[in-house]
Amino acid sequence: MRTRILAFALSIVFCAAAHAELKWEQTTVELHPAANDKEAVGHFKYQNTGSKPVRFQSVHTSCGCTAAQTQKDEVPPGEKGEITATFKIGDRTGTQVKTVTVDTDDPVNATTVLTLKAVIPQELEINPTFVFWGQGEAPKPKTIVVRAGKDFSIKQLKVTSSTPDFETKVAETSKGQFKIDVQPHDTSRNIAATLTIQPEGSSKTFYAMARVTNAPAVQ
Amino acid sequence: MTSTPATLSFQPSTIPRFVRRIAEFIVGGIFIYAGVIKALDPIRFASDIDNYKILPWAISVRLAFYLPWLEILCGLALIARRLYLGGLSILTALASIFIIATIAAKIRGLDITCGCFGHASKNWSFSAHIALDLSLLAALIALCICERLPRNSS
Amino acid sequence: MKSSLVRQTLILVALASLPGIGQALYFRDKVSWQSPVPASEMVTVAQARAWGGNAIWVDARPDVEFEREHIPGAVLLNEDRWNELLPRFLATWSPEKRVVVYCSSQSCNASREVARRLRDEAQLKNVFVLQGGWEEWLKKK
Repeated sequence: MRTRILAFALSIVFCAAAHAELKWEQTTVELHPAANDKEAVGHFKYQNTGSKPVRFQSVHTSCGCTAAQTQKDEVPPGEKGEITATFKIGDRTGTQVKTVTVDTDDPVNATTVLTLKAVIPQELEINPTFVFWGQGEAPKPKTIVVRAGKDFSIKQLKVTSSTPDFETKVAETSKGQFKIDVQPHDTSRNIAATLTIQPEGSSKTFYAMARVTNAPAVQ
Repeated sequence: MTSTPATLSFQPSTIPRFVRRIAEFIVGGIFIYAGVIKALDPIRFASDIDNYKILPWAISVRLAFYLPWLEILCGLALIARRLYLGGLSILTALASIFIIATIAAKIRGLDITCGCFGHASKNWSFSAHIALDLSLLAALIALCICERLPRNSS
Repeated sequence: MKSSLVRQTLILVALASLPGIGQALYFRDKVSWQSPVPASEMVTVAQARAWGGNAIWVDARPDVEFEREHIPGAVLLNEDRWNELLPRFLATWSPEKRVVVYCSSQSCNASREVARRLRDEAQLKNVFVLQGGWEEWLKKK
């Protein structure tokens, strides 16, 4: 009887010991891509610290802009590896948080959520990016404020309108801050223009829009 | 009345009653104002609480409908001197929790732009928030101490 | 003093719940009780359809998903090509229109982000997010 109990207890101990366990070096990675980078890549390193292999069942990301790649489908005990998450920055701004959900056959931690945080530097902050007038509205100038982003400086700003229907005047209001006064010549018809904003010495171009809409402006 | 020794030492119980009343009105008034601001826009307050990333949304949104009224009632309790101890204790607890949550958010790098005045204080710096919150807490603690000591007969 | 403190605290805690519950009842249809997107910024398929020609549908999904299939008349505006697509969207917009942004359940934060940028950067009013997204539209088609 005692032997049976001992054998039973030992078998439970061995079953518990023979487990799969994927340990992650870190589950959150913060990236600081440069202003002209098109992608930000995060590496999530792991190791199988258990005694059984771990199989990846699925890996999916929170958005179509992030792709995740596992190096292998199965991780033998003791082996290390990494999941690479590539975030396509596109025209996104500010701090972007994307997640990668990893499902495995690890009975203890079947699902792990990996977080990729990308702090996208913004050379210019334009507010607002769109100014409009209703038809018949007084063609008074409207102001767009342009500010240098954190860690950036602007000495001068060049602004051009895609059509002569809008006039633009640029003035520096304080260090690193400019205002663009936009004014339509007349508001009797539906007109639109793209304002190209180019900071001096920068290869990047920014945009704002101006329009006279075909309805009274609702402010 | 006992005579004071040559070297005066500060005793909370010697604070004139009117000074305490002024403090109660100011502190109570601030909490009533803060509560009203938040009660007027509970949805925005819910997202402000959510920004601290401490509580799940379901709890944040329910707290957003409850906390402003608690602040208002406790502020009134302080001014009206009814349910005074209860009001004082609750406001002290709220102020302490708020300060800890704000500091924790700062350490975690969260961009918290709202303090105890909801969105009305969204342009304040972190130091301004903490300074006001600590001042309120200090005033509340002082009132607690005054309440616990024997009243000055004046 | 201790029992008085506890009693007073409990009374205040209980009293504060009355106006709180009243206000919550008043706002019950205007608040999203489970998820962080405020209900006033979300719109159902039925509500958006009822707006008829006053609604501009905005597809916030990646280009390839839009090209595969999209809500008839929807304008593509995603963050991958925001600078290029925004002028095209703004050319169709006018102040009396209601903007309804949608995405798929796989990329569903995209619609909230696009809606946020339209509100904050372009300062447009009447910008809504479609509850249930593309999948909900397909179900109600």
